[in-house]
Amino acid sequence: MRLPPQPHERIDRSQRISFLFEGTPVEAFAGDTIGSALFAAGRRVFTRSFKYHRPRGLLCCSGGCPNCMMQVDGVPNVRVCVEPVREGARVRPQNVAGSLERDLLAAVDRFGGPFTPVGFYYRTMIRPRRFWPHYERVLRNIAGLGSIDKHAERSDRYDTEHRRTEVLVIGGGRSGVEAARRAAEQGRDVVLVDDRGAPEVAGVEVIAPASAIGIYEGGLVPVDAGHVLYRFRAERIVIATGTVEQPLLFPGNDLVGVYLSSAVRRLVDEWSLKPGTRAVVIAADKRALGVTEQLQRAAIEIERVVDLREAQPRRIAVEGRNLRAVSIDGRETPCDLLVMSGGHQPAYSLLAQAGARIEYDAARGIFVPGDLPPDVSAVGSVTGERDGAAVPAASYDGGRGGKCFVCVCEDVTEKDMKRALAEGFDSLELAKRFTTVTMGPCQGRLCHLGSIRLYARDQETVEGNIGTTTARPPWSPVSLGLLAGRGHEPAKRTSIHHRHKESGARMMWTGAWRRPHSYGDPEGEAKHVHEALGVIDVSTLGKLLVRGPEAASFLELLYPNRFGDMKIGRIRYGVLGTDAGRIMDDGTIGRLDGETYYVTTTSTGADTVIEWFEWWNAVWGKDVEIVNLTGALAAVNVAGPRARELLGRLTDLDVSNDGIAYLDAKEGFVAGVPCLILRIGFVGELGYELHFPSPYGEYLWDVLLDHGADLDIRPFGLEPQRVLRLEKMHVLVGQDTDSESNVLEAGMPWIAKLDKDDFVGKWALEHVQERGFREHLVGFEMENGAIPAEGGQILLDGKPAGRVTSARLSPYLRHVIGMAWVKPELLREDSQIEIKVDGSLEPARVRLKPFFDPGGKRLRS
Amino acid sequence: MTDLAFLSVDRARSGDGFEPRFASPLARALNGTAKVRDLSHVGKIEVRGDIDAIDVEAEVVRLGPSRALVLCDYERCAGLRERLPGLVIDLTGALAGLELEGVRAMHRLTDLDLDSLPAAGKVAEVPAIVLRDGDRFRLFFPQEVGHYLAEVVLDALEGPL
Repeated sequence: MRLPPQPHERIDRSQRISFLFEGTPVEAFAGDTIGSALFAAGRRVFTRSFKYHRPRGLLCCSGGCPNCMMQVDGVPNVRVCVEPVREGARVRPQNVAGSLERDLLAAVDRFGGPFTPVGFYYRTMIRPRRFWPHYERVLRNIAGLGSIDKHAERSDRYDTEHRRTEVLVIGGGRSGVEAARRAAEQGRDVVLVDDRGAPEVAGVEVIAPASAIGIYEGGLVPVDAGHVLYRFRAERIVIATGTVEQPLLFPGNDLVGVYLSSAVRRLVDEWSLKPGTRAVVIAADKRALGVTEQLQRAAIEIERVVDLREAQPRRIAVEGRNLRAVSIDGRETPCDLLVMSGGHQPAYSLLAQAGARIEYDAARGIFVPGDLPPDVSAVGSVTGERDGAAVPAASYDGGRGGKCFVCVCEDVTEKDMKRALAEGFDSLELAKRFTTVTMGPCQGRLCHLGSIRLYARDQETVEGNIGTTTARPPWSPVSLGLLAGRGHEPAKRTSIHHRHKESGARMMWTGAWRRPHSYGDPEGEAKHVHEALGVIDVSTLGKLLVRGPEAASFLELLYPNRFGDMKIGRIRYGVLGTDAGRIMDDGTIGRLDGETYYVTTTSTGADTVIEWFEWWNAVWGKDVEIVNLTGALAAVNVAGPRARELLGRLTDLDVSNDGIAYLDAKEGFVAGVPCLILRIGFVGELGYELHFPSPYGEYLWDVLLDHGADLDIRPFGLEPQRVLRLEKMHVLVGQDTDSESNVLEAGMPWIAKLDKDDFVGKWALEHVQERGFREHLVGFEMENGAIPAEGGQILLDGKPAGRVTSARLSPYLRHVIGMAWVKPELLREDSQIEIKVDGSLEPARVRLKPFFDPGGKRLRS
Repeated sequence: MTDLAFLSVDRARSGDGFEPRFASPLARALNGTAKVRDLSHVGKIEVRGDIDAIDVEAEVVRLGPSRALVLCDYERCAGLRERLPGLVIDLTGALAGLELEGVRAMHRLTDLDLDSLPAAGKVAEVPAIVLRDGDRFRLFFPQEVGHYLAEVVLDALEGPL
């Protein structure tokens, strides 16, 4: 039922919209909210309360309280009092077992009261511990805020928009609009944000409906505009968030039919709805008392008006489970509508977050903001500049028992607050954590002041001494989808990536890179490199140029290796260590000329190494430039007995062993592309790494496959590469090493030139040398073909003696091989060990030399 | 001293049956769309040292007190490399680039102050250099994230703005 058209109604009676409530069609007008349409259709119970499952109806009609939260189109906790109707929306209640009218869980309210005081589950459900998961499931089903579809896929698009403006006005009431208008007239760039819908203002960008959810460091203001999260940075922030009408505390203050005055105004003025037939009004200020105008216009009989400014009742009680009458100081007045107002508290939360001081004004009974930070100002009623209000009692005794709710979100009663105090939670911050008062969906809008008043009264002090709890974002609820935004996941791809995909490669992540795991046959690919010819994309390697007169001394200080003695055109393997001598990364260092070194790093370590280089260069001030060439250059490794033959077809360079020897670096053209050719052998075969401009990645890959077709060239992926390097016992940093590993114990003592004057981590390696080795990195070979897991335990005479770092079946050697850290007594070729594999102990033997080509003849061939 | 020829895209040479062709890292993601312009082929040369001494007819973007990026037509790279002072690194292949139109889309891609460009910062979580000409923006970023960024930019342009 609607009232006759009201002067300022928001509905357009000529446009009808239909949606479904629990599967039943509900008619609405354009301009309605789902809540107003349901109210018009006769619904009065909108939700069941969080803990006691008490029936709850509209209370604030402004999206501030939890009393109308429903599930809309699968989204839980939608406040339907402010959610605009939309055609076909599917609406259903939440946190209900049965129906809104008959909720089976309401038994908690009737019978559970004495057994379910605040925090009861902290102490009654902790033993036996193994039962907690069952308790938790039950609790979560009984007490809750709707449910989410765990299998739902991303259905909505959310964006984040970074904005800057000179003036950001938050709040589109009279004061906010006026502030925005004035700023615009001064030629400022102004944005006005309002959670309901502000009028158009000349020269002002209005974003509505939208809520500022907080003020962060640096003046960052996130604004929730539904599917867009604006991240505003403003030179000046103007807060015009107004006030929040406070409820009164008395037994039965949560019954259906009890409204705040502002809710009644909205129901009548905006949606032409009649909230009752006989009304009682109890209010603390003139603004709230003005609701009688709406009541009269809606032809609601006003049975009684209690102006708290004139007299404070001692007792207020509400009769029955449904509102039938109100008893004030023993005088009973029949009614079906109780309009209450405990005054208007400035909505200062954003100001507090910005750093304003919040003080209690005893005369007005409210907390007001002061000492605003520079660049933040407040206008309108949020400043607290409103007088003529009575300070209501902390609570009114009903004299007949019944629950008096301080917090309707979390179902915290006056009795719960008293219990918290009795238990020693004498500060409001502690009480908040114990009772969860102010922690519900309203974020303290309706319960913060009330809980402070109760604590002040019960501790016989003043509200100012109790103080406020810390104001934190979000000031209004925000969906996780909006916070998550678009979910950007930057993936790095080599310039040959799409060729791998076209070849049917199985791609995998290595750090931020997408790399081919294999091309379908990892074992065959590994074997083929030994028998014929393989090519692998190694563009992901970190690549640095270190250039300058002091390049050699710079690298000598960074690495344990020596570089000053390197001949031009030669390459050396290097291991980078931390200050504590731990292995950080490894790679090759090629000397291109007297002042230029080309450094490669692991694929995942590139960024760290570059930062490390730059940090130390800033410390030492060496005359060198460090240039990151990782993305600039693609790289492929052509490896296998036929590698030389293929390279010879593509370049004018002398590719003989004299022309490009093992560990040589040469510049030249390959298939017309300028390349840096590094002859190195991570996979244990004759091999050439070609580094060249990335844009030629696909071209050169195609050329290699075309011209190597008769040599039976095959691409191989990361997995076969790992098998091949394991056959050579080449260490994989991060796989075979951890944060404690050093080059001495990792079996690479020749790396550390301890006779150098200094290098990063030298003292630590000297210390390791002095104290003796605690473990060694060795190879092992399984005797029966079982493949241990990485991290698998190694036992000697039944006692722990080490751990596996890598293990694979070598298809070429036909053995299961691996690497492991073992105790020093096992550093002996052929030592017998046992490795735990799937719970059983499997025999293995220690190996100290590479499994494949231990003399390195293939590499140097 | 090596002239780092292996860094320069334009040094490739045809002959002996070979005809090097380079590809844009954005090609597949853009798939011929006209919504953005692929600038990956633009010459990009980094200069380190006394950048005030740069005296060439080309667009110079200052990246710091002693670093600048010189943008030029691809064909001019070789000539400019010869004339630029200090350490000259040809990053033509290292950086991909694209041009798009739309302030709103840019607001969704970056938190950079669009009124204070050119600047270096994050665009869709990846490092980029951003230049502005009216409502048109040019982005230069590591080529290895090019495919990703091109997809994100197209998405931002096509979204319900």
